[in-house]
This record gives sequence, structure tokens and C-alpha cells, in this order.
Amino acid sequence: MKKIVALLLAVMMVFALCACGGGDNKDDSQKTLVVGIDPEYPPYSYIGSDGEYTGFDIEVAQAACDLLGWKMEVFPVNWDNKLAQLDGKECDCIWSGMTILDSMKEAGYVISDPYYDNTQVLLVKKDSPIQSSADLKGKTVAVQLGTSGESLLNGDLADLKATFGELVTCNSFVSAFTELGGGSVDAVFVDYPVAAAYAAKNEGFRIVNENLGAEQYGIAFRADDQELCDQIEAAVQQLVDNGTYQKIAEKYPDIVSNLIYLNK
Amino acid sequence: MDLVTMITTMGSGFGKTCAIFFLTLLFSLPLGMVIAFLRMSKSKIVSNVTRFVISVLRGTPLMLQLIAVTYGPFYLFDLPVSRNKLIPVVIAFAINYAAYFAEIYRSGIESMPVGQYEAADILGYKKIQTFFHIILPQVIKRIMPSITNEVVTLVKDTSMAFTVSYQELFTIGKQIANSETSFMPFVVAGVFYFVFNAIVDYAMGKVEKSMNYYK
Repeated sequence: MKKIVALLLAVMMVFALCACGGGDNKDDSQKTLVVGIDPEYPPYSYIGSDGEYTGFDIEVAQAACDLLGWKMEVFPVNWDNKLAQLDGKECDCIWSGMTILDSMKEAGYVISDPYYDNTQVLLVKKDSPIQSSADLKGKTVAVQLGTSGESLLNGDLADLKATFGELVTCNSFVSAFTELGGGSVDAVFVDYPVAAAYAAKNEGFRIVNENLGAEQYGIAFRADDQELCDQIEAAVQQLVDNGTYQKIAEKYPDIVSNLIYLNK
Repeated sequence: MDLVTMITTMGSGFGKTCAIFFLTLLFSLPLGMVIAFLRMSKSKIVSNVTRFVISVLRGTPLMLQLIAVTYGPFYLFDLPVSRNKLIPVVIAFAINYAAYFAEIYRSGIESMPVGQYEAADILGYKKIQTFFHIILPQVIKRIMPSITNEVVTLVKDTSMAFTVSYQELFTIGKQIANSETSFMPFVVAGVFYFVFNAIVDYAMGKVEKSMNYYK
């Protein structure tokens, strides 16, 4: 018995050490910007094929920090709790394909200038009869919990939602797309780049050619961080001016046409 | 992403899963004993208050308790949120599991016949001696299967830590699944949990067997 207890303790300590390892060797003289990201939101922020976090927003944030001489740290948030995590100073900003909502401004958060015009579309099966949002009458539609699509359906598009047979709220894109593939829902209401990436990778899906979204993406900061917001905005503007922004954007063809800075 | 990268990336989260598991057991097993004693206290007030606390801990979702422990101090007292998520996660898990363990201990202790206490008293055992030398060893033997049950559940419950974005196995699996739009990471996660539980099962079986000293 004693041996087992000793063994358990030893194993536990090893794992506890594993859990503590990494990080903590910060150079205090250099400012660190902790960027809160949704790690499940390609192509803005996601886990790349090498297992490291990457994406358009992360690359721009990294370039902006390089310009400012800051260190950047990526902090994956739980998207449902992102504002609590920002308030709790776990990260300095939320920079991850985040839709600007009026409720955020009313709550006092500092929001950057919008940088992306989001397009909400419907992803359906190739042989589906659905050609526009008018065909959704009586159909089952899936949307991801906590996304801009969901808030749209509960706000501006509430009339459209009322025509649905049923609205299924999934907790991830994968489950929403799998429901579609498996035939349990007729359409998925989703951001264009996400739908485009999925349709390109998987056979048998198409995007309904109708833009249902009218919101924009921005970066959120805490209420007292106007100065930080200004610094970041200035740095991003510099990246646009020196061409770095364009270069990063070209790696992400699905979103390049909707980037506000490049269409001014 | 190839399978090897997927497994190594998720493996980094597995260390954290194990940290939650072992630290939770380390704290909740003794804490459960304390709660069991409070629950069986002769004072009506103490026993009823404990009973209420246990019913809250068992009657609300663990997910909610995780959020409350992690963000409650910030919203209520303006304390900073811990950067090392392991601390609030282990506190929430340990308190929650202690409530379950307390009831298991109580069931074991109350199942012991009164005659044993009387016999010990006649033989001149003090109360504490009676408990530690006569009652407890039998109790442990009796409750072992129920404890195993809880421990196996704990392995799977560690995945709940994704609520507060602690980067354990399931959190990372979910991230890869959505980044790659693939179900494969969930399969890999399932295998990780199953293998972990198979080891736990084997170890607990060994412990139970070593207690069969009367057979």
C-alpha cells in the first residue's frame, strides 16, 4: 500500500512539474502584449498543421508588436467567457475575428476601428434545393453558439429566424458541419471564410450566394486602455503603409477581399 | 495536420489533465473525510449546515462551480484572475469531489455495527484508537468499489476544465478539431482517456485485491 502511495505521489509530482513548465522567463524591461484569441476560428486564429497557433489576426498582431518593440503572447480564451477573461486581466485585448456589438460599446469596452466586413452565408449540400434565404421556410438551420451568426439571428434577422422550422445551436463548427453532412440539418448559418474553407476541403457542399451579414470585426480592449488601442491602431496603419499587411493578407485568400484597410 | 503532430500536441495537454487528476485526488480524499465527520457531527447545526453545503456541491453542475471559483473572486472582490488556471481548477474539482467522497465515507462508517465500538470500549480502546485501528481499515475495504467509481468518473470530468480555457487534453482536442474541421482529434482524445482509465482500473483493482486479506 505504501509503495502504491509513494508511486502515485511521484507520478503526480512529475505531472505537476510538466504543467508548470514553459513560460515565466519574461524579460521585464520589455512590454508584453497578451493577445486573447479564439483558438477555434480559422482563418483568423487556429491551430496550424504544426500544432502552433497561427492565423491572420495572430500574424498581424505579431507584426504590430514587432513594430512597437513589444513581446507578444497568445492567450487562447474560451469564447463564451472572453469578456470576463479580458476584465480579469488574463489578456490585454481580444483580437480574433471578433464582431463589434453595440452591447460591448455600451458596457464601456474600448473597440478599435473595424478592420473587416464580415459576410454571413448559408452552407448547404450541393444537391440542396435552397437557393436563397427565402427557401429556408420550415427548414432546420444550424448555427454555432456564441458566434456573430447566432447574435444576428436573435437580433437583426429575427424575422428570418421565425420562418425556420427549427434552429439548432451547435457548440462548434465541426458539429454543425457534420450535422449538415449527415442530413439532420438543411443549412448552416456561418461566416463566409469558414464556409469557404470547409467547402474547399470537403466534397459535396456549396455556399448560397447571398450575404446575410452586416457586421464588422474589431479589437476589444478594457475600458481604461484607450491609449493601448491607439498604439495598436497606429502600428497596424504603419503595417498597411509599408506593405506588410498586404503581404500577410495574401496568405489568406478567403478574407482578403473584405479587409477594410486594403479597400480604402 | 498529421497524426503524430496531433498526438504530440494533445499529449502536451495530457500532462495537464493528469495534473488535475492527481492533485484533485490528493486534496479531495482527506477533505472528504473532514466533511464526512462534520456531516456526522452530534451538533445539529454543524451537521445540517454541512448537509446543505453537500447538497449545493452535488446539486449544481461542476461546470458552473468551475466558473464560480475562477471568476467569482474577481467579480465579487476585484481580485485578479489567476494566470495559472491549475489553481482554481483544482480547488473547484477538489471541493466538488470531496462532497461525493464525504457521502461515500459516511455510508461506510455508518455501516459498521455498533457492537464493534462496544467491544473496543470494553477492551480499553480510546475513541480515536477505535476509529483508526478498528473502524477505518474495514471502512476503506468496504467503500473501495464506490471510490473506484468516482475516480474513473474524475478522469473523464477533467475535460470540463475547458470552460475556463485551461489547456488540457480535451480543450486542445476541441481547438484542433475546429481548426482542421475534422473529428479525428476527438477519436484521439477518446483513446487517451480510455487508456488512462484502463490504467486507473488496473491500479484500483490491485489495491482492492491487496485488501482481501481475509480471503
